[in-house]
Amino acid sequence: MIEVKNLSKRYGQNVALNNISFSVEKGTVVGFLGPNGAGKSTTMNIITGYLSASSGVVTVGGYNTLDNPNEVKKLIGYMPEMPPLYPDMTVKEYLNFMYDLKKVTLPREKHIKEICSLVKISEVYGRLIANLSKGYKQRVGIAQALLGNPPVLILDEPTVGLDPKQIIEIRNMIKNLGKNHTIILSSHILPEIQAVCERIIVVNKGNLVGDGTPDSLSRSLSTDHKLIARLEGPENAVLNGLKAMKFVVSVQSFGEKEPGVFEYEVEAHEGHDLRRSVFQLAAKQNWPILSLSNSDLSLEDVFLRLTSSAYLKDNTLIENAKKGAEEQ
Amino acid sequence: MRAITRKELKAYFSSPIGYVCVSVLLALYGYYFYQVLMLRSSSYIASVYSTMFIWSMMIIPIITMRCFSEEMRNKTDQALLTAPVGVTSIVAGKVLAAFLVFAIAMVGSLIPVVIIGFFSSPSWALIFGNFFGSLLYGAAMIAVGVFISSLTQSQIVAAIGTFGISIILLVIDQLTSVISNPAVTKLIGWISFNTRYQPFTKGIFDVSSIVFFLSVIAVFIFLTARKLESRRWS
Repeated sequence: MIEVKNLSKRYGQNVALNNISFSVEKGTVVGFLGPNGAGKSTTMNIITGYLSASSGVVTVGGYNTLDNPNEVKKLIGYMPEMPPLYPDMTVKEYLNFMYDLKKVTLPREKHIKEICSLVKISEVYGRLIANLSKGYKQRVGIAQALLGNPPVLILDEPTVGLDPKQIIEIRNMIKNLGKNHTIILSSHILPEIQAVCERIIVVNKGNLVGDGTPDSLSRSLSTDHKLIARLEGPENAVLNGLKAMKFVVSVQSFGEKEPGVFEYEVEAHEGHDLRRSVFQLAAKQNWPILSLSNSDLSLEDVFLRLTSSAYLKDNTLIENAKKGAEEQ
Repeated sequence: MRAITRKELKAYFSSPIGYVCVSVLLALYGYYFYQVLMLRSSSYIASVYSTMFIWSMMIIPIITMRCFSEEMRNKTDQALLTAPVGVTSIVAGKVLAAFLVFAIAMVGSLIPVVIIGFFSSPSWALIFGNFFGSLLYGAAMIAVGVFISSLTQSQIVAAIGTFGISIILLVIDQLTSVISNPAVTKLIGWISFNTRYQPFTKGIFDVSSIVFFLSVIAVFIFLTARKLESRRWS
């Protein structure tokens, strides 16, 4: 549905986007993740045709954004970071204006009513936008994007400024919309992305640093060479024993988890699986292994790793992530 | 375009701007009609319109200053520019709305004329010449003003800029007496709004002047549209 190819955007010397490519299938909810200033909004603005790219091609529904801007704009409902609201209009006037502006052909009254009840702004329908709270303004912004039922929704940080209850409501709404819309949603709130999105694209400093499902991303990063082990036995002896093993980089104790049982994190050189040698060592020393697992990364860890500067240079990572996505 | 025009008109008249501009223009027209026709017992209608014209030059920047400056500041231009409408029709809609506000005042200025018409038979050609001349001049200035408001986020800068340019265009033909270079004189005569306006004051519907003002409007709508599009590239 959306194809982004080799997209770059420069503001003078400043590179906002550096050769980003991805594509979004019809009917998927994609999360756009990245720290502030990573290039999320810029990418969204380029897809919606508000900004132009310095180089690269964007096609939406088969239309090129440069050759057929109006066709593309018809397919997209966009909610920018700051909802584009006219403070001197009532919600009713505003939605009617946007209805006309977008040349929507659905039955006016009924369509606007439906959207209002969907995003729960019916009770402020007659009020001046200037007098609405931040949460309501945000929802009017979402309502505006939904006008005309566009097949693609692009939402730039849709839950900013909402209270926790509203956030859950909006998330559920997005989930429901995701059943028959293609949605790109940006956020720097991880649980949100995790709750709503089937696929995550991580950008940092204008570069695409990760692309895949939440699972494949964390798997590609949770390096096989890190183990979490619970062994029964004297802490120092075990620690030294583990350290003395071949290919071990570092061993760390996480303290006593059960009486006489300590938890350790063992990091090996890349490409070496330590599980067997840990077993053999433990058996030899008679330290019962109570648990042994690869350290799984939470999405937070994934995010922090991907956006840390060291990973920027590591292109293999992106390839790993892509491979992970393909396997899925 | 119709949606934009309707929204703009609503914005003008849901805030005091529209009412203040129209009522100030009408009050001044009323005053000059009274001054010329009653106090001076003259039927020289051109004097009413040409005096008013300077006041119009002050009001028009106030009408046009918010057009794009406000949109850019509120970031509402994002809604306009990501909607499936051409940039030119957005600009044309805004120019039309601003023109309609000005036109309301201008039509109001015909009230004294209509009353005079009941009791005598003034030279209608002269009156309508002046009327349409002012209307066209105003429309061209509005197109210039909308363009200037697309250059800046500050409404005040837009208003003062438009005001400055309208004064320059109004007085530039006075320079011709000082400049001897015929090419420069010709150029000044060409861009001077005042020279183009003069035929109307004599009751002549000069086609070249009408074409001139209409082209100025078209050129500035075009320039504004290009300006808005160029923001995408910067």
